[in-house]
Amino acid sequence: MSVSTIYTDNNATTPVAPEVYRAMIPYLTEDYFNPSSMYESAQHAAQTISRSRRLVADYFGGVDPSQIIFTSCATESNNAAIYGVAKARPDRRHIITTTVEHPAVLEVCKDLQRGGYQVDFIKVDKHGKLDIPEFVRALRPDTLLVTVMHANNETGVIFPVEQLARITKETDPTIVFHSDATQTVSKLPIDLKGDFKDVDLLSFSGHKLHAPKGIGVLYLKKGTPCRAFMIGGHQEGGRRAGTENVAFIAGLAKALELASENHDQIESRIAKLRDRLESGILENIPEVRVNGAGAPRLSNTTNISCHYVEGEGILYQLSAEGICASSGSACTSGSLEPSHVLKAMEVPFTAAHGSIRFSLSRYSTESEIDRILEVFPRIIANLRKLSPYWDTQTNRPRSGASAGIM
Amino acid sequence: MPWQYSEKTKQLFMDAVQGRPGTHLGEIQNPDGLGEHGSIACGDALRFTFRVNKHPEDPTKDVITEAKYLTFGCTSAIAASEALCEIIEKGAYTPIQALKVQNKDIVAFLEGLPDQKIHCSVMGAEALEAAVFDWAKKRGVDTRLLGIDHSQEEKEEGRLVCECFSLTEPYIRRKIKELGLRTIPEITNAIKAGGACMSCHHVPGGLQDLLDEAWGASSGRASAEAKKTAEEQGAAALSPYQFNKKVDKTIEQYIRPMLQQDGGDMEIVDIKDKLVYCRLNGACSSCQGAAQTLKMMVERVLKDNVDEGIRVIQV
Repeated sequence: MSVSTIYTDNNATTPVAPEVYRAMIPYLTEDYFNPSSMYESAQHAAQTISRSRRLVADYFGGVDPSQIIFTSCATESNNAAIYGVAKARPDRRHIITTTVEHPAVLEVCKDLQRGGYQVDFIKVDKHGKLDIPEFVRALRPDTLLVTVMHANNETGVIFPVEQLARITKETDPTIVFHSDATQTVSKLPIDLKGDFKDVDLLSFSGHKLHAPKGIGVLYLKKGTPCRAFMIGGHQEGGRRAGTENVAFIAGLAKALELASENHDQIESRIAKLRDRLESGILENIPEVRVNGAGAPRLSNTTNISCHYVEGEGILYQLSAEGICASSGSACTSGSLEPSHVLKAMEVPFTAAHGSIRFSLSRYSTESEIDRILEVFPRIIANLRKLSPYWDTQTNRPRSGASAGIM
Repeated sequence: MPWQYSEKTKQLFMDAVQGRPGTHLGEIQNPDGLGEHGSIACGDALRFTFRVNKHPEDPTKDVITEAKYLTFGCTSAIAASEALCEIIEKGAYTPIQALKVQNKDIVAFLEGLPDQKIHCSVMGAEALEAAVFDWAKKRGVDTRLLGIDHSQEEKEEGRLVCECFSLTEPYIRRKIKELGLRTIPEITNAIKAGGACMSCHHVPGGLQDLLDEAWGASSGRASAEAKKTAEEQGAAALSPYQFNKKVDKTIEQYIRPMLQQDGGDMEIVDIKDKLVYCRLNGACSSCQGAAQTLKMMVERVLKDNVDEGIRVIQV
């Protein structure tokens, strides 16, 4: 294939920024020492970690750096948070989460459920908005933990985490509040001393914000009951054992620094590109819908359902054009079920299967969007020609199609 | 609507908004007297102007010939402004005589005002007072003749008692006496003090203390406290069903009408023990400060009427 790649799958992962890569190189080459060692050269590595920790802490509103724990990824952070809290407070056995969490939270909650915990999965409406009254009613005297993602990876729909955390703490300050902020760190402001002060635990990973894969963070507010998940070493204050990944930690700190520079300008440019892509598709293709359009959304994400066609077929053709995108969550691929997020939003089955997610980044360009807009209508038209539910003559669905009748 | 306006009030309001001849909406250019009261932040404001027929020798014999107003406020605020202008013009008063026009004259002219709206009539009287003061300065009349030399400094320099409406201790003290206010609700209805966050009701130096100072520690207060203790004991005996019913009833009776007055409303999402989860929608609910005030108001009313242990959580 000679076509150059158009990468619009940044909610899956992002390219490492050149600045981040350069910041990492010294620790992969001459500064390779174990930061726990006594000699002076090793102390430099230790200093790099503490400087990076401070940068991360500053990014979140100047929290105490000792509350920042470096992990290997957001999945580890989520596991460490949820299992850690469960282990620390065995007297409470009720958890509240949502139906649309990432599997790194959902499956952990289901695992605890199998172990006898009671778990409430709060529903979303057709726009993907959380049912807040249902959330309020779910809070109980024996609630251990609330874990709610900040923004959804598939649709980009943002949950009012700061409000949910406040309601939780006003109800009972001993309930622990965790949020998976993997999709929002670097995109939305998160002030853990301000609006988000009621959040006890926050997870995210580096590779969604132009740092490499293999580095994550768990913010753990002092005083939060949470037992260590990985044990066997003094690192990270004994809360996450294992020799520190110095190069990646330095890279993550650099990536957050980059994210702060010209943040609003970059975000608004991304939003413009996304809106152009979205309206271009809506104008040129009949029978499409934007999932989550009725809710506050991340400005880089669009999740589009094309009725009566299958997502995989779309991805395949996009890929032939060098365009990278997702259908449903990359993490759920391999399963034949349509995305649990779209199902929770009651997206009709005629549309759920034909959902495509484009997610942009600071490196996305106007010409890339133009190129997608050029090929995407043709791709859908091609597939619809094949679809038993589509009448190519009228360019409309066949009668009965919405009920699944061919 | 939880109250009814008199026919007169409604008619004055309609005439004014339709700009019928004989109404007084507007502003006199280069007025002989200009007075303002209220502010947009407090929900109503009045700018009152008048012109006099100047007496060639003795300014105290000037006669008011024309009065106009610009009012930001509700039906009764507009009607009260209209009433004020009519009373003044018809009376052909000198400015000093006009000072005798009091809020109760405005209420009488309007054929009554609901309790919650008394402050509209007070606003009219206050603006008039300020305008006369302004006239006196312009015409070189000795302001001591007016008996209102307290106007400015008491508003600016006294200790703030009601922070929500920026009302000071000397001002409230004077109004308690002038208007014969005997209870906190009467104060609130007349001058709005204590009507938003209610935190100034029973604190040291708060409204109750000012009332006690004015009228002596009244028996009314002692019985109110006795009633409260009885209610607290009653609350302890309430079953969850009765408790919830009582919360509901209090909201219907006291809180919802207040919110609806501002184009707002509320909804109970859940009640857990003494935690009441509410959704509040007010005209100002998008403003965080106002939302906080609203929450405190709802909590205060529920504490007073149902159970001191209630906490309101805004959803």
